[in-house]
Amino acid sequence: MKEGQSSGREKLQSKKSLSEILEVAIEFERTARDFYNDLIPKVSKQIRYLVEELAEEEQRHFDLFNELKSRPDIEQHIQAMVDTPASDKRFSDCIHLPDLGDKPDDQAVLQYALGREHAAMEQYHALAESTEPGPIKDLFLYLANEETLHKNQLERLYYETIHSGGV
Amino acid sequence: MAKPIQNSKFKIQNSPIAHEDSGSILSPLKSLQFFARRPVTVPLEPRPAAANYRGFHLNDHEKCIGCSSCQKVCDNAAITMVKVPHLPEDPVNGVRNLRPAIDYGRCCWCALCVDICPTSAISLSREYVHTCTQEEIDSYFILPDEKGIHGKYYGLGWQKSADSDLLDLERQQMEELGPDARIDNFDEIVHGYSEQQAVIEASRCVQCGMCNDACPTHMDAPEYIRAIWQGKPEEAVRWIYKTNPFSHVCGRVCTHRCEDACSIGRRGEPVAIRWLKRYAMDAVDHDRIKQIAAEEKADYLSGKRIAIIGAGPAGLTAAYDLVRKGHQVTVFEAREAAGGMPRYGIPSYRLPYDMLDRDIDVIASLGVKIQTNTRIGVDISMQQLRTDYDAVVLAIGLHLGRSTRIPGSDHKQVVKAVDLLRMITNDEKFKLPKKAVVIGGGNVAMDIARSLARLQKRSQDQVGVTVTALEDKAHFLADPVEVKECLEEGIEIFDARGPQGCIVERGRLKGLKTWKVRSIFDEQGRFAPAYDENDEQIHEGDMVIEAIGQMSDVSLLGESLSEELEWNRGRLKVDENGHTSVDWLWAAGDCVNGPDVVHAVADGHRVAASIEAWLGKKA
Repeated sequence: MKEGQSSGREKLQSKKSLSEILEVAIEFERTARDFYNDLIPKVSKQIRYLVEELAEEEQRHFDLFNELKSRPDIEQHIQAMVDTPASDKRFSDCIHLPDLGDKPDDQAVLQYALGREHAAMEQYHALAESTEPGPIKDLFLYLANEETLHKNQLERLYYETIHSGGV
Repeated sequence: MAKPIQNSKFKIQNSPIAHEDSGSILSPLKSLQFFARRPVTVPLEPRPAAANYRGFHLNDHEKCIGCSSCQKVCDNAAITMVKVPHLPEDPVNGVRNLRPAIDYGRCCWCALCVDICPTSAISLSREYVHTCTQEEIDSYFILPDEKGIHGKYYGLGWQKSADSDLLDLERQQMEELGPDARIDNFDEIVHGYSEQQAVIEASRCVQCGMCNDACPTHMDAPEYIRAIWQGKPEEAVRWIYKTNPFSHVCGRVCTHRCEDACSIGRRGEPVAIRWLKRYAMDAVDHDRIKQIAAEEKADYLSGKRIAIIGAGPAGLTAAYDLVRKGHQVTVFEAREAAGGMPRYGIPSYRLPYDMLDRDIDVIASLGVKIQTNTRIGVDISMQQLRTDYDAVVLAIGLHLGRSTRIPGSDHKQVVKAVDLLRMITNDEKFKLPKKAVVIGGGNVAMDIARSLARLQKRSQDQVGVTVTALEDKAHFLADPVEVKECLEEGIEIFDARGPQGCIVERGRLKGLKTWKVRSIFDEQGRFAPAYDENDEQIHEGDMVIEAIGQMSDVSLLGESLSEELEWNRGRLKVDENGHTSVDWLWAAGDCVNGPDVVHAVADGHRVAASIEAWLGKKA
């Protein structure tokens, strides 16, 4: 999983059109979806729901970005979405990307997912900052917003799962 | 017939009345003067009554919690509690959607209902006239609100005052060890009530039963409190054992939801229900308690065998119920002693283990076999239990601690609170830190902080414990008393601090790095803290203890059974009776519902009833 690293950013920065940028983003989502789908049979049934939900979420992003790519009114649509950015919250105990191993537990899976969403979010934000105002900047902001939303959901789930029972 | 009083005053009154002496033959003619006058009718409308008049009832529906104290105090049975569906109903917080309706054919306007009302919702108005035809006779049965019975407010008449209030709003003070007397030992802090204190405290109860509604196991608190007030502790224990065989434990460490719902707590201090339970249990001889617990036990054997995994409150409560039904019950406990989380998670200064042992001994005395040092999944397989027993209950608690997994948390001096508490219970040796940093703001965090403080004081003559909690003080998960006593014992508490990393230098643990927590809940009120990384602190320590969360060790199930079972977001999926998706297996207690002793007891009853019904169908 290299999509969260600087090579991905360079790859995206070199793109010229909205369609090309979306293609790279779609690829990010596809690889994540496939990663989680591969993980489903490896984890215990107790926490399988978690990996299944992550795979479903990545599939949702995959479908959403594909749909955006095919829409003629994409520029106006993206403009509307970035007008309401999601809040960004940071956690130290969830931004590290652990080695998941053969039998990861729920915390390891969640930390991995959070790390990935955080990296993607930061990457899209950085790209938006380094891009001139216009539809491409808006697209980056939109993607950053989507990743932030998902990260926020995962953060809530993380604390409900890990910081519970006996506290 | 009374004899007329013979004195000079009454002689005058008893003389013939004036008109008999001075009547005139023309008097009838004088009445002719009235023929020309217009008739006068005096309207039946209330005229101003005295300020303290006891007129019809007023009831502020917003203040009224439907506790029914008014109904209970009414000697004339003039009050009926009526369900008002549109009003809120929240038993856990002591709110019923019942409101008093008054039968004015019975009411004597004594105003005891006003004087006893815990919320001061009821008062009497200055309105006193109500007439109707025979067909409208039901109009004497009225559900009063704050406007008055005819929708017109005539002003407040009799209302609660300091002089008339029947409630005692202050509870009997509990004797406790002060900070200096307790800091170097594990002696029980709370002394318990004397008989006199218990009777006085019991007399504060208005028998409304809000406590019963709120208690997860619906303890008959009004009944056992009444028995204490009557000086009958044995009778109190009998009531207690109808719903709770862990009452030495619950009398000390229960989360006392009963007291949160107590109607007296609306204006004053709630009745000390937990301490009263403790008083009754402590007041009765242990052997007598065993006899009381054995009353109504089946005098036959059903021939059914039940296996229970885990000898904590849930497992042993289920065992208690099932053995009383005549079943043969064996409880398998992985550790060296029964008791579960109360023994291995609660320090003895809060719960002396000999008291826990008494509760367990009562249950064992009924014939429950407790097999300790037997780890299911290792010593005996689940499959074997399935073969050998008719039903199996999983009551394994939450014995595994969660880790933050922040950088440095894999250092050997970073430990989990549940593991350390267990070592302390078992009197195991470990390297006592000079300065410990605890991560967590719940009761477990306070328990380990206070335990370490005692050990430090005893061996190092000083306390060096810091607690860092994500929550701000207003949202601490720990019992406020725990927080207060922590501070009294010299423990530092830093609220709203999020752990970021354990500081390790040249292999040595130096402390914990935290960031300020900006907010802890998101817009939907869900737990989702956000940090301010510019506000960083280093808390020095040579040991960091994580007390952030716990989970069950379900490895005993094995892969095959884990696959066969259905799960619900990481926990075993059970129906409302604790029955899993596998017909021979039930689950109860902390592993299903999270940590709470009295909830575990309620769960134990629930699964026992479910198993009993299931065995009945199967037979």
